[in-house]
Amino acid sequence: MKLEAKNVNFFYGDFHALKDINMQIDSNSVTAFIGPSGCGKSTFLRLFNRMNDLIDDTHLEGECLVGDQNIYDKSVSVDELRTTVGMVFQKPNPFPKSIFENVAYGLRVNGVKDKKIITETVEKSLKQAALWEEVKDKLKKSAFELSGGQQQRLCIARALAISPSVLLMDEPASALDPISTSKIEELIFELKHNYTVVIVTHNMQQAARVSDKTGFFMLGELIEFNDTKKIFLNPDKEQTQNYITGRFG
Amino acid sequence: MKHTETELLELKKAISDMWRLVQSQLEKAKTSLLTGDEELARVVMSREKRVNAFELKIDSDCENYIALYSPVAIDLRFVLSVLKINKTLERIGDFADGIARFVLETDGHDQHLELLKELHIEDMFGCVIEMLEKDKLALEEENTALAGVVFTIDNKVDDCYSDAIQALAKHITAHPEDVLYSLNLVTLLRKIERIGDHCNNIMEELVFYLDAKVLKHQKTAQSKDTE
Repeated sequence: MKLEAKNVNFFYGDFHALKDINMQIDSNSVTAFIGPSGCGKSTFLRLFNRMNDLIDDTHLEGECLVGDQNIYDKSVSVDELRTTVGMVFQKPNPFPKSIFENVAYGLRVNGVKDKKIITETVEKSLKQAALWEEVKDKLKKSAFELSGGQQQRLCIARALAISPSVLLMDEPASALDPISTSKIEELIFELKHNYTVVIVTHNMQQAARVSDKTGFFMLGELIEFNDTKKIFLNPDKEQTQNYITGRFG
Repeated sequence: MKHTETELLELKKAISDMWRLVQSQLEKAKTSLLTGDEELARVVMSREKRVNAFELKIDSDCENYIALYSPVAIDLRFVLSVLKINKTLERIGDFADGIARFVLETDGHDQHLELLKELHIEDMFGCVIEMLEKDKLALEEENTALAGVVFTIDNKVDDCYSDAIQALAKHITAHPEDVLYSLNLVTLLRKIERIGDHCNNIMEELVFYLDAKVLKHQKTAQSKDTE
C-alpha cells in the first residue's frame, strides 16, 4: 500500500516540528529516513499510524494518506488504521506473556477466537520474522527469556500477525548487536515483497543497505528524497552530502 | 578539521607524491631517449621500484579508508578514483621504465637520434607530459574545466603517432638497414601514445570524482551510434 504526505506541517505547541513536507512512498518498497537528532524524522514516521495523537498540545496541517485515504479524516478509526499500519519501536517491547501469546495478542484483541487460525497465524508470523526455527520448541516460555535481537524479531512478528500492509520501524536495530542487526536487515529486505516498509535509522550504512529510497531531514524540513543509490553516491543537495559524509555542523 | 578529512588529505598527498614521481620518471625517460643518455635511463629503471612501492602503499591506504570509514558520496567517489588513478600512474611509470630500457637495450640507438627528431617524438612526448600536468592541476584545484584541453591534446598525440608511423614507413623504404631499429621504434611510439590514453583515463576519473559524471567509453558508444 502506498503512502503520501501532502503539505504536512506538524506542531508541538508552538514548535514547528515538520515544515511543509511532501512525499510519496511506493508500495512494496523500503524507504529510510535519515537525519540528525531532532530533525523530525521520527515525528514524521509516527504520523502514519497516528502515534502523535497520544501527545498533548500537538496539531497537524496537511494530509497523510495511506492508500488513497487521508488517515486524519474524521471517519477513520484509529484502531482500524493500526491494523493496517504496524509499528516496531527502537527498544524491543514484548508483553509480559509467553512467546506464543505475544504474537497472538493482536489477533485476540481484534476478536479472532478460532484456535486453529491463531496457531497458524502465529507460526506464519514467526516464520516471516525469521524467528520460528529459534523458538518453535519453547513457544510457552516467557518472551523475556529471548535475547534482545530475538525480542525485536518477536515484536516484528507481533506486528505482522494482524496482517498490516505497512510496517513503520523507528530505529529497529539501534539497540542490537551486529548479528541481530544483520538478521533484522535481512528480514526488512524480505518483508518488502509483501509490505511497504518505512524505517527511521541513525545508521546510514543501514539505510544504504536496506532501502530503495532515502529521505534526508534537517530542522523539520525534508531536504532531499531520492533513490538510495543516488543519495549515497551523488546527492543533489550539499546539506545531504555534508551530513552523510560526516561534515555536518 | 575532522580526522576523516585528515585521512582524505593524507590520501590526496600520497597520490600527489606518486604523481610527482611518475612525472619525474617521464621527464627523465624523455631526456634519456632524445639525448641517448644511458646514465639517466639507468636512474629511471632504478626508480621504477619506488613507483611500484608507492602503488602498493596507496592501494593499502584506500583499502583501509574504505574498511574503516565506509565513505559515501564525494568521499567514496574520491577513494574509487584514487584507486584507479593510482593503477594508471603505475602503468605510466612502467612505460617510462620501458622507454629507459629501449635506450639501454636497443642497438644503435645513439646513432638514430636524428631520426627521432624527424618523427617529432619530442613534440609527442611533450604533449603527454603536458596532459599529465594538467590532470594533476585539475586534482589540486578540484576543477575539471581542463578536461576539454586534455582530451584535445590526446587527439594531437594520436595524430602525431599516425604521422610518425607514416614517416617511419618511408624511412624504412629509404633505409632498409634500419628495419630492426624501426620496428623497435614502433613499439616505443605506441608506448607514448598509450601514455596519452592513460592521461585521458585519469581525467575521466577526476570528472567522476568531482562532477559525478561517467565519461568512460562514451566516445566508443557515440561512434557506434553514428555508424
